[in-house]
Amino acid sequence: MSESDTLGDSKRRNFLIKVTTVVGGAGAAAVCVPFVASMNPSSDVLAKATTEADLSGIPVGGVHTVAWQGKPVFIFHRDPEEIKAMEASDGGFDPEPDQQRVKRPEWLVVIGICTHLGCVPNKEGPGWTCHCHGSQYDDSGRVVRGPAPRNLAVPPYYFVADNKILIGKSKA
Amino acid sequence: MTNKTINWIDRRFPFSSFVKHDLTEYPTPRNLSYWWNFGFLAGFVLVLQVATGVFLAMHYKADAGLSFDSVQHIMRDVNYGWLLRFMHATGASAFFLVIYIHMARTLYYGSYRAPRELMWWTGQGLLLLLMATAFMGYLLPWGQMSFWGATVITNLFKATPFYGEEVVTWLRGGFSVGDATLTRFFSLHYLLPFLILGGVAVHLIALHTVKSSNPSGIDLAAKDNIPFHPYFTSKDFYGLGIFLIVYCLFVFFLPNSLMEPANNIPANPMQTPTHIVPEWYFLPFYAILRSVPDLVGGVVAMGLSVMMFAFMPFLDRSRIPGGASNRPMVKLGFYLFLINMLVLGYVGATPPSNQTILIGRVATLFYFGSFFLIPFISKAEERWLIKRGLPAELKELMEREAREKIDLPPHRRAGDDK
Amino acid sequence: MNKFFISLMLCSFVSPVWSAEAMLETFKVDTDLPAIARGVDDLMNNCHSCHNLKYVTYLDLAKLGIDRQKIDGWRGDQPMDAPLASLMSDEAAMQSFNLVPPDLSLMTKAREGGASYVYSYLLGYYNTPDGVTHNHIFPATKMPDPLGMSTTTDHAQREEIRKTAHDIVSFLSWAADPHEQERYRLGYYVIGYLVILTLLLYFVKKQIWSRLK
Repeated sequence: MSESDTLGDSKRRNFLIKVTTVVGGAGAAAVCVPFVASMNPSSDVLAKATTEADLSGIPVGGVHTVAWQGKPVFIFHRDPEEIKAMEASDGGFDPEPDQQRVKRPEWLVVIGICTHLGCVPNKEGPGWTCHCHGSQYDDSGRVVRGPAPRNLAVPPYYFVADNKILIGKSKA
Repeated sequence: MTNKTINWIDRRFPFSSFVKHDLTEYPTPRNLSYWWNFGFLAGFVLVLQVATGVFLAMHYKADAGLSFDSVQHIMRDVNYGWLLRFMHATGASAFFLVIYIHMARTLYYGSYRAPRELMWWTGQGLLLLLMATAFMGYLLPWGQMSFWGATVITNLFKATPFYGEEVVTWLRGGFSVGDATLTRFFSLHYLLPFLILGGVAVHLIALHTVKSSNPSGIDLAAKDNIPFHPYFTSKDFYGLGIFLIVYCLFVFFLPNSLMEPANNIPANPMQTPTHIVPEWYFLPFYAILRSVPDLVGGVVAMGLSVMMFAFMPFLDRSRIPGGASNRPMVKLGFYLFLINMLVLGYVGATPPSNQTILIGRVATLFYFGSFFLIPFISKAEERWLIKRGLPAELKELMEREAREKIDLPPHRRAGDDK
Repeated sequence: MNKFFISLMLCSFVSPVWSAEAMLETFKVDTDLPAIARGVDDLMNNCHSCHNLKYVTYLDLAKLGIDRQKIDGWRGDQPMDAPLASLMSDEAAMQSFNLVPPDLSLMTKAREGGASYVYSYLLGYYNTPDGVTHNHIFPATKMPDPLGMSTTTDHAQREEIRKTAHDIVSFLSWAADPHEQERYRLGYYVIGYLVILTLLLYFVKKQIWSRLK
C-alpha cells in the first residue's frame, strides 16, 4: 500500500514538473518575440514603403531613377517606335509580352536591379546593360543576354493622376 | 543516443563531471533562507541587461546630434522598442536593488569572513564595475540629467594630484562633456558588462571552492548539506518568479517613476537643471560627497565610502563565528547602518539646505564611524558573549578552530581545503 | 530586512516632486480617441503656430484614427511621414521671444508633475490689477496666455477653456508616450502569466523539498 502511495505521489510530482516546464518554456519563447520583432523594419521605415513619383518632368526618351524602399526604380518614357518594337517581340530568355509589363505603353516602370546578382544596370543605346557580368535588357526591361535569368521586375504601382504614379501599391 | 553524445563530449570536455560537481552533487547547506536567492537573481539580471542592451544597441546612435532622437526612435518606431528600453532602464535599478540586498545579506550573516574573503573582494570589484557601467549608460540617452550627471562626475577627477584638469579633459576627450565623451562611454558601456561576466565566473569559482555560508554561521557537517539541484534550482526559480512580478510591475506600469523628468529634455551645455540628482542607487554616496566642504576631501570620502566594505574581513576581529544571528551587537549595528544609509539617501535626494547639510554630515560621520568602531566593538562583544556563555555548538566550533591553529602549520586555517 | 527593501524603493520617490505638486491642479488624462482628437485639433489651432512636435508625424495621427481630411488640411503638401513642425522658424521665434519655444512631443514627461503640470500651467494665467499677465505655475514664462484664461471672467467660458486645456494635455500625454495603453494591456497579461508561473514554481519547490523529510 505504501508503495502505491509513493508511486502515485511521484506521478503527480512528475506531472506538476512537466506542466511547469511547459508553462515556463512557453513564457521563455514568448519573451523572444519582442527581441526578434525589434529587428524587423521599424514603423518609420515601413512608412517609406511607398514612393510617389512625378512623371511630368521626364521627356520622351528620358529615364528617371527614383528610390523605392531603398531600391532604384527606372521610369522610362518610351517613344512610339520603341513601343512598337517592344510590342512586336516577346523578349529573349524569359518571354513575356510587353503589354503585361506596362500599365500605359509610353511609361515603362521597372526595378533597376539586375536579376543576376543585384547590380544596377546602365541605360546604353536601346535597353540596359549590367556592367557587373554583362547581362543585357531591352527597352521593356526583358533580358536578352545572360547571365541574368529573369526580366527586370515590375514593382506594384498605379497612376494616381495622369502624370503621377504611386510605387508600392498596385491600386488605391 | 543522448548517452552516446554525452560520452563523446566527456572524452573531450569535462561536461558530466562539471554537472555532477557543480549542480547535482554540489553540496549546499539546507538551511539557506530566501536571502540566499539574490546571487542567482543578480546573475539573471546581468543576462537580461546584456540581452536587452545588445538589441537596443542595434537601434541606438552614439552621436551627440543623433542620440536623443535615436532613443525616441526606439521608444516610438522600433517594434517593441519601448519594451526593450524600459526593461533595460528598469533593469539597472533592479540590478542595484538585488546587489544591495545581496551585500546586506553578506554583512548581516558575516559571510565575508574567512575563508570567503576573496568572494567578498571579487564582489567589491564587481560592484565598482557595475557602478561604472551604470554611470556610463546613464549618459547615453543624452538628456539634461545624463549630460550634467556626467559633467559632475567627470569633474570629480579634478581631485587627481597635480594633473587634475588634464585628467578630466582626457576622460572627456574635450574641454566639456561632448560627442567624444558620449562615444567612448558607449564603447565602454558595451565592454564593461563582459568584464563583469568574467568577474562573475571568478566569483563563482571561489564560491564553489569555499561553498556557501549559511544563516547559523556554523560550518555544517556533511549531514546537513543537500545537492544544489534540484533543491536550490527549484528554490531559485521560485524566487525568480517573485522577482519577475515586481520587476514587470515597474516595467509595464511604473517605468517613468525610475526616470528623471529632466532627462526628457535634450542635453543643453548652456543650462543646468535647477536640481540635479543621481539615480537612487547612488544617492547615499552622493550625500557623502556633498557632506565634505572640500572638493578633494569629498571625492576621497565618496571613493572611500564605496571601498570601506572591502576592509570588513580585517575590521571584524571577533572569534565568534557567523554574523548577526549569533552576535547581538553586530545585529544592532547592522540595522543602525541600514537606517543611516536611508538617511544618507534622503539627504542625497533633497536640495542642500542648512538642515540637510547638518544631517548629512552627522550621517557621514556615523557611516565611517561604524566601520572604524567594528574592531573594538567586535572584540568587546566577543568577551561579553563568552562571559555570558555560548551555545554548545559555537563553543565546540571555536575550540576546534583553536586546536587546528595549534595542530596545523600556521598558514592553514579552518575552511581551507582539507 | 524587509524594511531595507521597501525604504530603498521609497528612496527613489522621495524627491522635491511632492512640494511642487502641492500647487498643481489634480488632473486625469483622458485616453479615449474623441478627447485626443479634440486635443490635437485645439493644439493645431492654439499651439502649433509656435511649437514643434518633432517626434509625432501626420502618419502617427492617421494610425491613431484622427480624421484623415483634417490631417490633410494640416499637412498641406508635406508628406504623411513629416513631423508636426511649427510654422514659425527658430530665427523668427528668437526675434519675438528671445528663445525657441520648446518642442512639445515630450512635454508631459519632461516636467516634474507631468501632465498635471502642463494642465495647471495652461490654466495658470492671471492678470494683476495693473493689467500685467502672469502665470503662477511658471512665473518666468515668455509664452503669451494661449487659451485666454487671464482675460475671461465668465464662468461658462472658463469651463470651456478648462475643457480645451484638458483635451490638449490628453493629446500631449498620448504624444509623449504613444505606446502607453499598449503597455498597460500587455502588462496585465504578463503579470497574470507570471502569477500563475510563480504559483506553479512554488508547488514544484514545495514538492521537491518535501522529499527531504
